[in-house]
This record gives sequence, C-alpha cells and structure tokens, in this order.
Amino acid sequence: MNTYILRRVLGTIPVLLGVTFLVFAVNRIIPSNPAVAILGDKGTVEAQEQLAEELGLNKPVFLDLQGYRATGELKALFDSQYVAYMRDLLTGDLGRSFMTRAPVVDSLRVRFPATMELAFFAIIIGAGLGVLLGVVAALNRSTWVDTTMLFIAVSGVSFPVFWTAIILIYVFSVNLGWFPPAGRLAVTSTIEPITGMHVLDALLRGQFNLALSALHHLVLPAFALGTNAMALIMRMTRSSMLEVLQRDYMRTAKSKGLMPRVVVLKHALRNALLPIVTVAGLSFGALLSGAILIEAIFNWPGIGSWVYNAITQRDYPIIQGGILFVAGVFVVLNLLVDLSYVLIDPRIRY
Amino acid sequence: MRRLLRNRSGMLGLGIVIIFVVMTLLAPVLRPYNAATDRNLALRLKPPSTEHLMGTDELGRDVLTRVWHGGRVSLSVAVLVVAGSAVLGTLLGVLAGLTGGWLDMVLSWFVDILLAFPGILLAITIVATLGATLSNALIAISIMGIPGYFRVMRSSVLGLRDLEFVQAATALGSSRFRVAFRHILPNGLSPLIVQVTVDLGRTVLTIAALGFLGLGAQPPTPEWGLMIKSGYSQFLNAPWLSIAPGFAIYLSVLGFNLLGDAIRDVLDPQLRG
Amino acid sequence: MNRAKRMIALLLAAFLGIAAAQVPGSTLIVGMTTLPNTIDSADANDSGSIGVTRQIVDRLVELGETELGPGLALRWEATEDSTAWTFYLREGVSFHDGTPFNAEAVKFSLDRWNDRSNPYHFASDGKAYVGWRNLFGGFLNDGSALDEVTVVDEYTVKLDLNRSISFLPSLLAAGYFGFDSPAAVMAAGANYGTPSVGSVGTGPYRFEQWQEGSRLVLRANPDYWGGAPQTEQIVFVGVGDQTARLAQLKAGAIDIASDLAPSDLPSINADPNIEAILGSGGLNTSYLAMHQNQPPFDNVLVRRAVAHAIDRQAIVDAFYAGQAVLARDIIPTVLWGHGDYEAYAYDPKLSRELLTQAGYPDGFSTELWFRSSGLEPVIAEVIASYLADVGIQAAVKTEDWASYLANYMAGNFPMYTLGWNADFPDPDTFVYTFYGPPAVRRFGLERPDVVALVERAREVPSQEERQALYARALTEIHDEVPMLTLAHESKFLVVRTGVEGVVMNPLGGFPRLNNATKATN
Repeated sequence: MNTYILRRVLGTIPVLLGVTFLVFAVNRIIPSNPAVAILGDKGTVEAQEQLAEELGLNKPVFLDLQGYRATGELKALFDSQYVAYMRDLLTGDLGRSFMTRAPVVDSLRVRFPATMELAFFAIIIGAGLGVLLGVVAALNRSTWVDTTMLFIAVSGVSFPVFWTAIILIYVFSVNLGWFPPAGRLAVTSTIEPITGMHVLDALLRGQFNLALSALHHLVLPAFALGTNAMALIMRMTRSSMLEVLQRDYMRTAKSKGLMPRVVVLKHALRNALLPIVTVAGLSFGALLSGAILIEAIFNWPGIGSWVYNAITQRDYPIIQGGILFVAGVFVVLNLLVDLSYVLIDPRIRY
Repeated sequence: MRRLLRNRSGMLGLGIVIIFVVMTLLAPVLRPYNAATDRNLALRLKPPSTEHLMGTDELGRDVLTRVWHGGRVSLSVAVLVVAGSAVLGTLLGVLAGLTGGWLDMVLSWFVDILLAFPGILLAITIVATLGATLSNALIAISIMGIPGYFRVMRSSVLGLRDLEFVQAATALGSSRFRVAFRHILPNGLSPLIVQVTVDLGRTVLTIAALGFLGLGAQPPTPEWGLMIKSGYSQFLNAPWLSIAPGFAIYLSVLGFNLLGDAIRDVLDPQLRG
Repeated sequence: MNRAKRMIALLLAAFLGIAAAQVPGSTLIVGMTTLPNTIDSADANDSGSIGVTRQIVDRLVELGETELGPGLALRWEATEDSTAWTFYLREGVSFHDGTPFNAEAVKFSLDRWNDRSNPYHFASDGKAYVGWRNLFGGFLNDGSALDEVTVVDEYTVKLDLNRSISFLPSLLAAGYFGFDSPAAVMAAGANYGTPSVGSVGTGPYRFEQWQEGSRLVLRANPDYWGGAPQTEQIVFVGVGDQTARLAQLKAGAIDIASDLAPSDLPSINADPNIEAILGSGGLNTSYLAMHQNQPPFDNVLVRRAVAHAIDRQAIVDAFYAGQAVLARDIIPTVLWGHGDYEAYAYDPKLSRELLTQAGYPDGFSTELWFRSSGLEPVIAEVIASYLADVGIQAAVKTEDWASYLANYMAGNFPMYTLGWNADFPDPDTFVYTFYGPPAVRRFGLERPDVVALVERAREVPSQEERQALYARALTEIHDEVPMLTLAHESKFLVVRTGVEGVVMNPLGGFPRLNNATKATN
C-alpha cells in the first residue's frame, strides 16, 4: 500500500518535468522574438535585438552543443535557456514578466487565490445543486421529474460555458439587476489580503459586509463555471443512489421498519458519497479550463486571464510559470483523488 | 441496434444530429454565402424581423445565414479533429498496449503530460505559438483529444491481449500486428465508438471556445464562437448577435451528447455514469 | 432605455455596495482600457502606464496648453551650439517619501536611464527604456546624445551633449522622463514600478496600492508644489471593452472614461449625466502604408494611384464626429515643419489612368491589413471599397497585435494601417520615426538623401533651419508616396457631469488630474 502511494507521488515528477519541457519547446522553438511584442511599435531593430540578448533569448533552448564542442567542457553544454530556467525554478525564482518586469511569483500570489476562490465556490454550487437534483431524480425514478432532471444534466454539459455566462449576465445583471456584472469587489472596496481569497480574508478580519459583497460578486461567475460540474455530479449522484437503493441491505433496512425517507438520506447518500467526491475532484480540471473563459468575461483577475493575456503577448515567464503552476495543482489534485479512492474503498486492491 | 432505436433520448439526439448534418450539406445549395464579400453597411445591427429572422450584425450581415454556415465550419472541423485524434490515439494506444516495455512507458509518459494540462490550456498554448488560424486550432484540439483514445485503446488491448483466442492466433504464427488489426481492434471497437461520440460534442465546444478567445477562426469566417465574441461587445443594444450562435452550439452538442449517451448505454452498460 | 436604467441600478448597487465602502473625502474613479504595465515612467512604453505615472512624478519641463513651461526646472539655458544645457531647479520640493528633490536626484535618474552599466539600470531584468533610447538616440557611449550630467550646485545641473539638440527641453517634457526618488529606487531595485512596490515621485498624487488586475489607487499629496489636489483619492480600473466602459460611465460606476469612440459622441452629448472633454488638436497621425518590397507597390505610379483613389476627407467626416482633421502629411497640422505641395486629391479617374500607365489596366489583387481595435476595422473596409472602385481588389485581414507587429516590421504586409502618437511636441518625433532610418523597415523606402536631411534637422540649432529641412524632406517624400496619411485625431475624455477641472493633455495621453474635482451629491 505504502509503496503504491510512494510510487504514485514520485510518478508525478517526470510528468511535471515533461510539462516544463513541452511548454518550453512550444514557446521557444518557433523563431519569433518576444521583444517585438514587448517593445511595441516604438521598438527599433537594435532595441529588439538588445532586449532579446538581455533576456537570454539568444541562447540555445535546451542544449548548447556548439559551446560544448568549442570548449569541450560539460558545463558549457548546459548553458541553455531551459537549464537556466530550471535552476532558477529550484530556488523558487520564476523570473520576471517580460511585459511588466514584475516577479512572476508576486503575481501568482494574487492571481492564484482569485481563481481558487472562484473554482471553490463553483464546486460548492455545482456539488450542492448536483447532489440535490440527483437525489430528487433518484427518488423519482422514471417519472417526468427524473426525465427533466436528466435533460438538465445533459444540457448542463452541452452549453458552452462562456455563453452561459453571457446569458446569466444579461438576465440577472443587466435586466434584473440582482448581481454585479464584473469584478471581485466594488471598485472602492478594499480587503487587505491574508490568503488572497476575499471571502475568507474578510471573515478573518471580521468585515462581514465586505465578505457579503465578495460573495455577491462570486455568485454569477461561480454559477456559470459550476454548471458543467453540476450536471456531472447530478448524474453520478443519481446513478450511485439508484445502485445503493437497490442493494439487498437497503431492502433489509427498509423492511426493519425504519422510515423510508430517513433510510434514504442517511444510508444511501453516505454510501454514494465516494463516487460523487471522485467526480467532483476530477471536474476540477474542467473548472480550471473553464476559468479562462469565465475570467475573461467577468474581468476576474485570476490565473486564467493572466496566462491567456500572457500567451497573446508572448510573455514567456508568465506562460511557463502559470502553466507549470496550474499543471502542478491539477496533477496534485488528481493524485489526491486517486489516493483517497484507494484509501477509502477497501475493495480496490493494488 | 434495436435497443438503440427504442432509446427515446437517443433517437432525439440522432434526429438533431441528422438535421444538422443535412442542413450543413445543403447550406451552399440553399443559401450560398461568401464571407469575404458579405457586407451591407446600411443594414447594421437590425433586430430580428421577417426579412432577417435572426437580425443583422455590425457589418449588416444576416445572422441566420451566418449561423447556418457556421454549422458547416463547426461540424466539418469537429469531424476532422475527432478523426485525427482517433487515428493517432488509437495507433499509439494499440502500439503501447501491444509492445509494452519502454515504448509503453514513454508513450504513457507523453500522454500523462498532455493530460496534466487542464482543458483548453494546451490548445491555447499550441495555437498561440503556431498562429491563430482555424487550421492550427484544428491541430491543437486534435492533439488535445489523443489521450482519450490512447487510454481507451491501450486498456482495450491490454485486456484482450491475454485472451485465449489471441494467444491461439499468435501461436499459429500471425505477426503481432496482424493479430492487432484482425482480432483485437474489432473487439475494441465499442469503447472506441463511445469515445468518438463523447468526443464530438466536446470538440464542438472547444472549437467554439477557441473562436471566442480569438484563437480559432478569424473574421470574417462565420464560426459560432467567434460570432459570440464579436456580438458580445454589442450586447446591450444587440443581444441577438450572441444568443443565436450560442443556441446553435447548444443544440448541436446536445444532439451529439444524447446520441452518445444512448450508444454508450447500448454498447457498454457498465460505463453508464 | 430600460436596460440602461437597470444597468444604472445594479452598478450603483454594487458600487455603493452592500459593503459600506469607505469613501474618504472624495474619490475619482477612472476607467482606462487596461491597467498600467509598470509605473516606472522611464521604463514604460504604453499610454496606460504613462497616464498613471503622470500623476505621481514630475518632469523637468512641462507642456502647457500650447507652450513649454517650467516643471521641476524653473528655467534653463544652453550654450550657443546647444551642446551643453544648464537647468535651474525648483527649490523646496520633496519626494513622497520625504527625501529632498535636488540636482543629485536629477543626476541619479538621468544616469540610471542613460548608462547601461549603472547599478540601477536593470537591463538584464528586462527594463528596456524605449523612450530614452528613441529620444536620446541610444545609451551612453552607444548612440546617446547625453555624455555627462554634472551637479553644479544643490539646485543646478548641467547636461553635456555630444551633438547639438536645440529642442532638448521639448524632449524632456516627454511622459517618460519623470523623476523618481533615488532612495526608493535603490530600496526597491528591479522591482521599482511593479505592483508590490509602486513608485515615488514629486507629483500631485502618491502611490498607495496596486492590486494587480483589479485597480490602482493613488492618494493626494497635500504638499505638492503646484498646490494640493482637490480630490483625495484616484482609483484606476481597467475595463477592456469600449462599450462596457461607456456603459459603466453612464451608470456612474466610473467618473472618467478614456479611449471612447468618436462615433459615440452624439450619444454622449445627448446624455445629461456625462460630458465630453475635447482636446484642441491631435498630436498623432493615422496612415495607410504601402510596402515597396511587395509588388506592385514598388511602382510609384501604383502608389500614387492609391493616393488618388481614396476620399480621405469623406472618411474623416464620416467616422470621427468632427474630432479629426485630414492629414496632409505626417506632421500634425498644429505643429510646424510642413512641406509646400498640394495634398493628394480624391480623383478615381486619375487613379485608373495611373494604374493603366503602370501596367495594371484591370487593377490587381492585394491584401490590406488592419488592427482589430478602434475605428480601423470599419475604415479598412471603407478603404477596400474605394480601392475596389478603381479595380484594386484588397482582401481585408487582421491578426493579434503581437503577430501584426512582427509581420509589418518584417515587411510581410503589402498594405497596412497604423497610427503614431507624439512622444514630445516636436516634428522630429514624426519625421524621424517615419522617414529617418526606420523608413526602410516601415515601407521598404530607400532614400538616404531624405534620411540625411532628417538626421541633420536633429542637430541644427535654429528652428528656422530645422523647418526648412523638414519642409524639403517632406516635399521629396510627397512624390514618393510611401504612405497615405489619413487623419489627426483629437483625443477626448468623457466625464460625469459634476467632475470639473479635467483638461486634455496636448500630447493626447491621459492628463494630470491635480485640478480635478467632483461635486459631492
């Protein structure tokens, strides 16, 4: 058991290394000079070349074969952009944005919690609604209620998430005026960051009205982001519950005279929880992916919009740092889900 | 097959898909369109009317025509993408499953790397590097889809490899690859079909998402995601610009999903979610 | 407009908030296209960054409505040949961190910008100082006109140049050259100007907070030498979409909006809650370029045909709502240095004749690339229609900015549209940028004689001589037609009624808000 866990954990390292490889290759192999985009229309050819030199973009990408042949030293072989980047990475230095010259780590500290908060609430809404609707569907199996629920579930994964967001803004923000159309907080409000997640920070500081405002701003984007997960969780809940409800011991419990409703809610749900948690964890990846689109629409200052803008501006340090970080979180999350599965369900053997 | 026909939602899905395919094929015949020359600056931003059932956009173009032809773009690209992913993923997956050893390890490692990128992040990176065009988006989304097929076919092969009839065939002298094509692949076909139908819906969504981000089809191509993006800036005064193409995406994906679920229920009830 | 009312209601609700926001004294909320990249003014090269730094730092020389005036320098004088300049600084001024502003501070910043080996230059951290390089010619011992900065006494500083620059004060009025507190720069190192550190200057507003991606907050500097600002706090937010920016302004969620479309002016004027602050004359030029590496644009007859094919005045009249004038040449009408010739008239018949002469009686096919922002998409379409009228089939195309830059600079576009904003109020920023050495890259234009004229105009001491040189250069260029200049656009801001004291900056960038006030409701 323990060797399995160790093997899995160690197995993530080559994958993450591979991610750095891939991102590096995809970015820097194509011969375009990011200095052009950085300096903009005011950049002269000399300026572009000089900046490229300063940023180390003229060095070979992975291995310096020429330098090795010239000097014969092994050290010279590794005088490359990739090695330099990995060396810095090991000391926690993710470099500076090409565009803003601000340290990538500083930006991550602001951007990551913003996306995490959004994803977290999206999962809560998705799981909450999903479980609720799934239970309703399971209890009303093969009735019109069930069919409606199933239709909602399929629709939930058929809507383009960015379109859902636009429609939600149009209905609930522009027309009904119940929720703000963009941003994490009102423009003049400030929450001094502790974790970077506004609701949590505001609660920790006892600023309940600010926490409420942050929640108010979270509703629409989290709901839009969570519809996909909601649909998946709903189906999973429904089928898990159906499966559990039909098992013999449920029938035995029922026959013992316990109230059907109580039976359902306590026993069935508890047993059905495992696959629900699994699906929730696995949906996280789709959430991070959808976050890019949602953040663009709601002007949400998270990792999604940050990396997306960096990609269009050829801002390599942000692209690399952001993608590596997100991939890292994703891999760790998958790992946790896998491990929890093994730990919780004794029937699975490895 | 009969079970499929009895599945009501599956039939609904099939119906939707057939309607879309037919409309797509008929589009150039019934309503020919040239995106490059289509503009009518006198009719900008008109709301839906009897003449323009879905209104006109910021260059005076009829939205209905563009949505209709957008279907051609989305569906044809989706088919190409899925074909690409399926072929590559299957080849690699079968190869990995059959040969095992270090080739399997390397291929699996590569696929794990692809899977470490959540959703469209990989596609965005690839497209931004290669340049924002529809063909590059096609390549990027294809690559994104490979892991799915790889895993399905690889586990299929691994599951079947040790079965008696395969061992018998090998013992009789067939080369490993002949064994693969003649015996394993047909039996691995059902999970493949399930994967394809699931993939089609997802691909249409991804194409639209890239179009929305400006990283897929470029103006003036009538692609649904791109239309939603251009329509969004006019949202307060012309909401129909974004609503129509979005609804088209929803319907087509719904069709694929309903059909896919029904096929999955029929072919492999174990996989039912 | 029911929707607008709803927008107002919801945005006000969010704005005033369930959260009781602390609104100290008064606050002005400014909606820009995007938040700054950096607020280290010398390292900035986009208008968003410069606009914010303009509130925080001062320059030696400031541009008033029409003339240069004293900034941190009260007066200045030059030697006969304009190779050595002495600046007499304002006394009794402090930086926001309390350290004194003096000649040492001036020398610190100038050296830091000019000398690549200076410990606070940070080139290897990505700081490129594009403004300095372009305006001063390069860096120390590598093209820069500035050789040495000498501290004569506490409030006098001398600049030694290695060539004559008669318009040095004009250069120093550029938005890039705001002076920072040496102590702050030394403490922050390469992080100076980033969200975690901010910047420290002598200006009317001091940096308070920058939540990256969300907002940038400035607070009034009550000890400002030009008089304490009336507004206590300025909050900058980025609203990328132009329509959304206008909507937020109309709803009262922001007080000032920049970069709105001229076509929205009628609707803005009709709305009693908002008003437009117009500029007086745009120091910018938009143009249609033709690259001579791409046939048939290597044929001057073809280029002249294009020049006559487009009714530029009609475009100016149709799309700018009166906020632009036709550009006769590259230099804005409000500046000096124009050539003496007839502007190209709209004459499609002549255009067709020229094309036939050039060997294209039936026209030809080509591409017209445009930027996907502002008015360019629509204007490109209109230009394409005009070209189609004379037989030139131009396919209109666009792509993202980074690719666009790379491609136009590599000469891959046969025709493309772009614009240029002046960095400082002098013709050099236009003529040198287009007809100096960069001309080869921009248009494939090889006219070393024109380049020589333009470079000489940088070094000649008297304005009359410079005027003559520019006039000659432009007249030569006129017959070459490397590009077709379109319009000089007057930028404008839109504010909520009740916001007073906002005056447009002649350079077109975001103006100083030190006199801005907001009527409290």
